[in-house]
Amino acid sequence: MASVIDTQTVKKNYLTALNEALHEEMERNPDMICMGEDIGLLGGAFGVTEGLQERFGAERVVDTPISESLIVGGAIGAALNGKTVMAEMQFIDFISCGFDQIVNNLATFHYRSAGEVAMPVVIRGPGGAYGGGALYHSQMNEAWFCHAPGLKVVCPSTPYDAKGLLKSALRDNNPVIFYEIKELYRKRDIEEPVGGPDDLVPLGKGAVRREGSDITLISYGQNVYHCLSAADRLLEEGVRCEVIDLRSLVPLDEDTIFKSLEKTSRVVVVNEAPMTCGFAGEVLARIAEKGFELLDAPPARVTRLDTPVPWVKPLESFVLPSVDKIVDTVRRVIRF
Amino acid sequence: MSSVAESLATAPFPADGVHPRDLLTSEDCRQLLFQLYLARYFDVRLIKEKKRGHLRGTLYSSHNQEAVLVGSLYGLEPTDWISPIHRDMPAFFLKDARSGLRNPARMGMSIQEVCAQIWGKSGSPGRARDNWSHIGSRSKRIIHSTSMLASTIPVAAGIAYAEKLNRGSSIVLTFNGEGSTARGDFHEGMNFAAVHKLPLVCVIENNQWAYGTPVELGSPSPDIADRAKGYGIPGLIADGQDVHDVYDKVKWCIDYARSGRGPSIIECKTYRAYGHGDHDDDRANQYRSPEDIAQGRARDPIAIAKKALREKGCEDAEVLDKYCPEGKSASEVRDEDFPPEVVEYLREGVQYAMKSPYPEPEEAAMWVFHEEEE
Repeated sequence: MASVIDTQTVKKNYLTALNEALHEEMERNPDMICMGEDIGLLGGAFGVTEGLQERFGAERVVDTPISESLIVGGAIGAALNGKTVMAEMQFIDFISCGFDQIVNNLATFHYRSAGEVAMPVVIRGPGGAYGGGALYHSQMNEAWFCHAPGLKVVCPSTPYDAKGLLKSALRDNNPVIFYEIKELYRKRDIEEPVGGPDDLVPLGKGAVRREGSDITLISYGQNVYHCLSAADRLLEEGVRCEVIDLRSLVPLDEDTIFKSLEKTSRVVVVNEAPMTCGFAGEVLARIAEKGFELLDAPPARVTRLDTPVPWVKPLESFVLPSVDKIVDTVRRVIRF
Repeated sequence: MSSVAESLATAPFPADGVHPRDLLTSEDCRQLLFQLYLARYFDVRLIKEKKRGHLRGTLYSSHNQEAVLVGSLYGLEPTDWISPIHRDMPAFFLKDARSGLRNPARMGMSIQEVCAQIWGKSGSPGRARDNWSHIGSRSKRIIHSTSMLASTIPVAAGIAYAEKLNRGSSIVLTFNGEGSTARGDFHEGMNFAAVHKLPLVCVIENNQWAYGTPVELGSPSPDIADRAKGYGIPGLIADGQDVHDVYDKVKWCIDYARSGRGPSIIECKTYRAYGHGDHDDDRANQYRSPEDIAQGRARDPIAIAKKALREKGCEDAEVLDKYCPEGKSASEVRDEDFPPEVVEYLREGVQYAMKSPYPEPEEAAMWVFHEEEE
């Protein structure tokens, strides 16, 4: 009973939630293994995999060489030979070094084999800017993988979702690219109780984080919090924002989006990836194609400028979405 | 072509003084020759079908390189894994050939499946979704490859890692060309396999040409086996024209892997008879000198296998002289140059392929995602 009380009342951070998911799934599935750089002995660069090697042994929790292509290709091979694999990218920026194995091999395996082969592989890692990580420790490169048929793409923003989505991903027979937000790992003010061993958050379902009737803000990851702050400020001006956290990009929960638009008729999509061919553009395209008549104003997006993420704060802030930029954009859409 | 008699000796070869080739029976030797006939006939038959316009896509001929496939595969157990690449089409039906070519339970593909794939029909194991050599079968332990060369090596390492974890006894044998060894995937896969002493045998078909680039522009050493030194694993060189030598060295590597001692690289020196693909046949006669081509094709693996049979005294000269495709190009060779059972086996495959329907167009949108979750 102690564990039930624990689950229901103790607030946990995003990182602990992920760590719990890995421990529970490793316990539940003896065929699951973890591969990645520094995930065993060290417990992960950020500590997401802490305690796993101690508990499950160095064979199931493998410290790999600095070889992202091997990590992904090895995960494919292990999956062919009966394993479920969690493959960590130390930073999601480094996923580019395993890109070919992901988009050409992992993503297409089920397709190429005409359904014979399933690929229960989750590639997860920390992404996101706002922390001064500069060009190669700040990326949100999810659009690359949304563009590769066969991959599911997920990005939780809360501890409860982090745990529940990771567990769902690890029980899915499709490859999942799992974007964690490193700025949220230890963020105190988002701590919350998380689910127990069998509480899952389904892939492909968005969440309404705040209800409102005047405009819909659609986002995921840490921009969800920027949207919520913007919504607070806009309420002072009498604008009631609805905030949707997509959580899953592929598959995309269009129902939640259109249900909200039926109510608000206005939309702003926010994400911290570059604008051109980014996921915000995909959301707007679907709205334009399928929900044009719902709109009372041109839709808008707030994204990173089409630049890399620069290092020092004045430069970084200049290119990224912010509460101010969201507020300005919402005012413009509302005034239309 | 450099001397092939000795390994590079990063490990003792043979392990205990006994060469695996010395344990081959007369029947084994006859079987090896038969499989060479089969691989050769398969190739020339496809070249003819392609020229008649019956086939879509590119044909990557394995002509003159058959001994590498036959000799490597002959040392495997049925449950071992293989990953063939583009030039290795015969490997799909030669795997586990010893269990009987027409045995539906064997751990290799039937000639019907392989031909249906080449003809792009629904009888293909991959239902013709990707072309030619990009088929596989998890149940038959044949790894699907992609066009990104060496991409199978990290995958093979992952299979081998899981096999070790499962306390299984199967090994993984990968085929790649010498050009592939310049890719990062080759290094990442072999490095990991060496660190964990994984049961992986990396066969390199050094046919001297990576498309239009000669080996000396792809490797600082003319011996690809040298790459093994950096991983502290055995690096052997075999005469890729001599099926017995290939069998000898690869079987030693297979035993080495199966006994838990780890991966190895075995370089088979051979020569690409034609162009990189059939589209390249004419140009390959320009960027390669006539002397280079003549020298590379001078040692036909079928002739060399026959010589071994004669020397061993395990086949009559009369039988050996009956079927002589050796030294003949695809346009010169005729069905009569092959044993009738070889021709008949291919006929069964081609007939099936021609009758098999194309996949329904709607199938193109299927199997992007695995539908049921666990």
